[in-house]
Formats: sequence, structure tokens, C-alpha cells
Amino acid sequence: MKRDHQQHLGKTMKEEEDGNGMDELLAVLGYKVRSSEMAEVAQKLEQLEVMMSNVQEDDLSQLATETVHYNPSEIYTWLDSMLSDLNPPSSATDYDLKAIPGDAILNQFSIDSSSSSNQGGDTNTNKRLKCSSADSMAVSSSTAAATMNGVAETTLTTATAESTRALVLVDSQENGVRLVHSLLACAEAVQKENLAMAEALVKQIGFLAVSQVGAMRKVATYFAEALARRIYRLRPTQSPIDHSLSDTLQMHFYETCPYLKFAHFTANQAILEAFQGKQRVHVIDFSMNQGLQWPALMQALALRPGGPPIFRLTGIGPPAPDNFDYLHEVGCKLAHLAEAIHVEFEYRGFVANTLADLDASMLELRPSEIESVAVNSVFELHKLLGQPGAIEKVLGVVNQIKPEIFTVVEQESNHNSPVFLDRFTESLHYYSTLFDSLEAVPSSQDKVMSEVYLGKQICNVVACDGPDRVERHETLSQWRNRFGFSGFSPAHIGSNAFKQASMLLALFNGSEGYRVEESDGCLMLGWHTRPLIATSAWKLSTNQMVSH
Amino acid sequence: MVEKSNNKRQRVERVPEFFINDHHDVLVEILRRLDGPSLCAAACVCRLWSAVARNDSIWEELCFRQMSPRPSLSLRSVVSALGGYRCLYFLCIRPVLARLPKLLWSRDQLQLSLSLYCVHYYERLYVGAWIGDAPPSSLMFLRKPVNVV
Repeated sequence: MKRDHQQHLGKTMKEEEDGNGMDELLAVLGYKVRSSEMAEVAQKLEQLEVMMSNVQEDDLSQLATETVHYNPSEIYTWLDSMLSDLNPPSSATDYDLKAIPGDAILNQFSIDSSSSSNQGGDTNTNKRLKCSSADSMAVSSSTAAATMNGVAETTLTTATAESTRALVLVDSQENGVRLVHSLLACAEAVQKENLAMAEALVKQIGFLAVSQVGAMRKVATYFAEALARRIYRLRPTQSPIDHSLSDTLQMHFYETCPYLKFAHFTANQAILEAFQGKQRVHVIDFSMNQGLQWPALMQALALRPGGPPIFRLTGIGPPAPDNFDYLHEVGCKLAHLAEAIHVEFEYRGFVANTLADLDASMLELRPSEIESVAVNSVFELHKLLGQPGAIEKVLGVVNQIKPEIFTVVEQESNHNSPVFLDRFTESLHYYSTLFDSLEAVPSSQDKVMSEVYLGKQICNVVACDGPDRVERHETLSQWRNRFGFSGFSPAHIGSNAFKQASMLLALFNGSEGYRVEESDGCLMLGWHTRPLIATSAWKLSTNQMVSH
Repeated sequence: MVEKSNNKRQRVERVPEFFINDHHDVLVEILRRLDGPSLCAAACVCRLWSAVARNDSIWEELCFRQMSPRPSLSLRSVVSALGGYRCLYFLCIRPVLARLPKLLWSRDQLQLSLSLYCVHYYERLYVGAWIGDAPPSSLMFLRKPVNVV
């Protein structure tokens, strides 16, 4: 009876009303519904149907015996009472979201939080939404973005995909959308300090994440874990083992995907061009790690027309656990290489807890007529943004060094907004795209370690705050402003770097997804339409150079 | 009269005047002119040919055949130090050529291959330093088959 009624309603929604404002056709059947309320009544009927199908056996019988039944011919009020019985008003301690499917939560939000633009305007749109390609987090996050902006829903169904996959939950695509919505809802709850709701949502996210496959599953799992850490205040502490572990993880990340290679190759090309014709060169590296960037530069210097210059390298890095002098070991390896390819090599390693501890005088710089200097920083500068005054100090030191060129590679995304929800949303999109690009890589231990490497970054962005939060990425335009204020002007990275980068990317699996873009002299590597990392080169502004 | 000519003929057939395996320099000159796959096949013929094929100048020729200003001599010393042309060809140049077939072999690709080769050499310097079983290899991405969809 209810089902017929629903179909009937669907047809009658468009029909004319009679004099009383009551729908004529329904009145014939004995139900009184105002035409103006038809849409709402239809919506609530759907809600009720969904809820009743999910409610436990005992609850239904409870409904039958204990609830006061309103006159069902007054559909509007009857529906209200049924809905409120099945969906008790939320008390902070007793919110069991498992019984309530995602749509109802969305409806709840659209009623409760009118201010939030993140929940998707039209609930009907949300219900009808299906992703057009399965398993692609990028697509589903873009559809989520579409609903967030209240733009019309994406079409349609992949009925074949649904039927071929055996899942715990009914529909993977719809769960994918629900997953994204739940993640955002949880982040919002955390932002509003509504920790009970956030806790319930995190558990739900856990279930939904398991129903996904591929990149979406991994991203959702990492974000869920990070949210859980934030909710339960389990801040990951910087344990001493971390540094060597993060080095290893970065090595695997280097091997699996092109981002670090792109960074190194483009920065090296810029440095090589800046050092043209110079006989003594000095590179100061803020991001020494294992020194993977420098073999390629040394080889290029060895083979340049006119022969290699005298190459001096100063490497700066954080202290290792048990004070193992890894910088010294890296220096030895580089010296070994330099000897093999006949390049005169000089090396110095500095251990510093933070780059802000550095001073130009420590670096033993020689006069600029004799020695040309380049400063290089790959994914290091953003770590300074958590300490007040640090970035300004470091840029001041770089100014004092008076380099020929200052190469900077940073992530192209704003994960440093003071508003938690903004950081969360941005990083969700960013890391989804990043994990998507990893999907093309065949599974291996390297790939798993790369994912762990990225997972640690996710954890830091979401779960940490204050000085612990070091992954404070900012976009290229933000960095441009910063550098502009600190007396640097952009140096265009030439077309050689662009060519080399394009060739490098063509060698990777999944190369059709990678894009190299040039933007005002800076090179950006992205996955499909989304830029992910940006290499830029800077020199001192000319008025600075004059006053030396 | 007939027997004599028969003997002469038999003698000519039984004793060849020239046997390539006795003249390694000639063999090298011939192998130098082969393309990659043929050279690899030649290296599988017998132990002698395999040993001769290890001669790095053959592989140097293979690497630079299409390049018209010839690279400088300093390149040879650098490449030898990094492991030789044969390894360079197998590890870098062959996969690069396989994945960039539309482009002609040019200095840019050579430069890229050399950079990758150099990183590879550097990583292998201290094998024991890495945590885990196998030494890392930054060229692993070149070894995996390209997914052809």
C-alpha cells in the first residue's frame, strides 16, 4: 500500500491543486496533503522508507505498541511523528549512527546547519548522485566539490560496474560519495568541537572506507586515522627513530614516482644554467637527506663544455637519532663519485635542528668574485612556517649569502589555513590526487612505503597543531608574495628544464596522467588537471645587488 | 688428371682460409655495426663471442651512432667510471628508447640517461647502508613493463 502510494505521489506531484490547497487526487484516496507540501511529504516518505528498512526488529514492534499514532490521513504530521520516533533527538552521549544511513544524516545537516556550504545544497541531488567512473577518488571528490557548490548533479549510473562487484555494502559509488561527505562532516564536527558526533562519524568512515578499493580506500583510511588521532588527542610524537625512518620512506618515494626526481632534475637544470662559465661553484643544500640530487648535477658539470668547475657542497640537515653522522657519510659517497668522474670536490655538513639556527657566517663563504653560490631547498621551507619569524630569518640569511640562484621546490597546495576545515578539505583533494597518480605503479614494497610516507604527511596536517604541525604547505602564489617581500625576484627556468622534465615523465608508468606546466617561469608537475608540486628559481632583486 | 682436380677441390673445401674467431679485432669491427637486438643476439652465440661483446667500444658505438656531433672524450672517461657503456645501454638507454620511440635519439635523451645512470651508480655505492633486503634502485621504474592499455 505504501509503495503504491509513493508511485502515486510521484505522478500527482505535478498535478493541479484544488480549491482548499489540498491535492485533489490524494483526497479521493482519503489522504489530506497540501499541494505546497507535496515535495516535502515525498521526501519524508522516502526517508521513512529507508529508515524503516534499516531499523532493528525490536524497534519496529516498539513502534507498533508504544507510539501514539497520529491520524495517518494527515500525512504531514503523521510523517513527522514517525520520523521523530525512529530518529530520536540526538543526545550527546547516545548517538548511534550505524542505524541511520548517510542520506538521513545529510538531511539532518541541511536542516540543522544552514550556514555550512559544505554539505551540498539539495538533498535530492545528493541521493541521485552517482559517480560516473568507479574507484576514482579524484572523480568522486570532484563530484563532491560539485555538490558543495550547489552545481547540478553529475550523471549517471554504472549499473554494470555495480553488479559485477560483490561488496559488503550495497553500492560502491554511492558509498564513495557518502565516504567523502562523512569525512567532511567529521572534519566539520571536529572544527566545531563536537567530539561525540565526530567520534561517531569516524567509526562510520571506517566502515565505508573498507567498502572502497584502490586509492580511495587508502586515502580514506589515512584521513580517518588522522581524524581519530585528533579526536582522541593522540598526537603522534616525534620519536627519535623517526628521522632515519623518514629518510628510508623518502627513498622509496623517490623510486616509485616522479615527484622527487622532477624536483631534483628541474632544480639542477636551473642551477646548471646559473653556473654557466663559473670556475668555482658552491651549492648550499637545505634539504640534504641522502644527497640524491647532487650526483646528476655533478655529472652534468663534469661533462659541460670547458670542463668541470671546482664543486663545493654544503649540506644542512636535522640531527639523527643517536647522533650518527649521516651527513659525513653522504659526503664520503659524493666524494667517491666526484673522484670517479674527475670533479674537484669539497664538502661540509651542518647539523641543525631547524634552518632558522643558521647564520651566514657559519657557512664560510668566499668572496663572490671567486665563488658563485646557489641555494637549494626541496620541500623544506614550509616546515619553518610554524615557528614565528623563522622564515623571515632564513630568507634574510639567504639574502646575505647573495646566491646566483635560489631554487625552491614546494607542494602546490594550501595546507596552512588557520581554519581546520579548510586545511582538511584542501589536503583531502591534494592527497587524493597524489594517491590516484600512484595507482598506475605496480604494487611493490616501494609503493607501500611511498604510501606510508604520504600517510605520515596526512597525519601531520590533520592531527597535529602548533609547533608539531610541520607540513604547512602553501601555494606558489603565496610563496611568490613571500619571496617578493624578502627581496627576491623570479628567475625564469628555461625550456631545457621543461624538455628534460617532460622526457623524464614520459618514462614512467601512467605517464599519460602527468602534466608539466610552465607558469610565469616556474615549472609545475601535476596529475591530470591538478598541479601537485612547483619548482621555482629566484635571484636577488637588482637594487639589492647594487648595494654590496 | 680428374683426381688431381678433385683433391684440389676437396682441399679448398676442407680448409677455409679465414676463420672469424681467430681475428677478434675484425669481429669487434663487425659487431660494432650491429644494432642493439642483433648485438645482444650475437653475444649469445658462444662464449668467445660473449667475451668479445663485452668490449665497451662496441657499445659506445651503439649508443652514439645516430648522434652527429660526436660526444667528447671526457664523456668516455665519465661513463667508464660509472660502469661502462654496456651497462649504460642496458640500464638506461634501451628502456628510454623503448619508451620514447617517437623521438630521435638526441643529446637531451643522452643527458637524461646519463643523469639516471649517475644516480644509479651513487645509490649502489654503499649497499649495506639501506634498511631492508635489496639495495634501492632508482632505475626500477625503467625496468617494469609499461602498462599498455
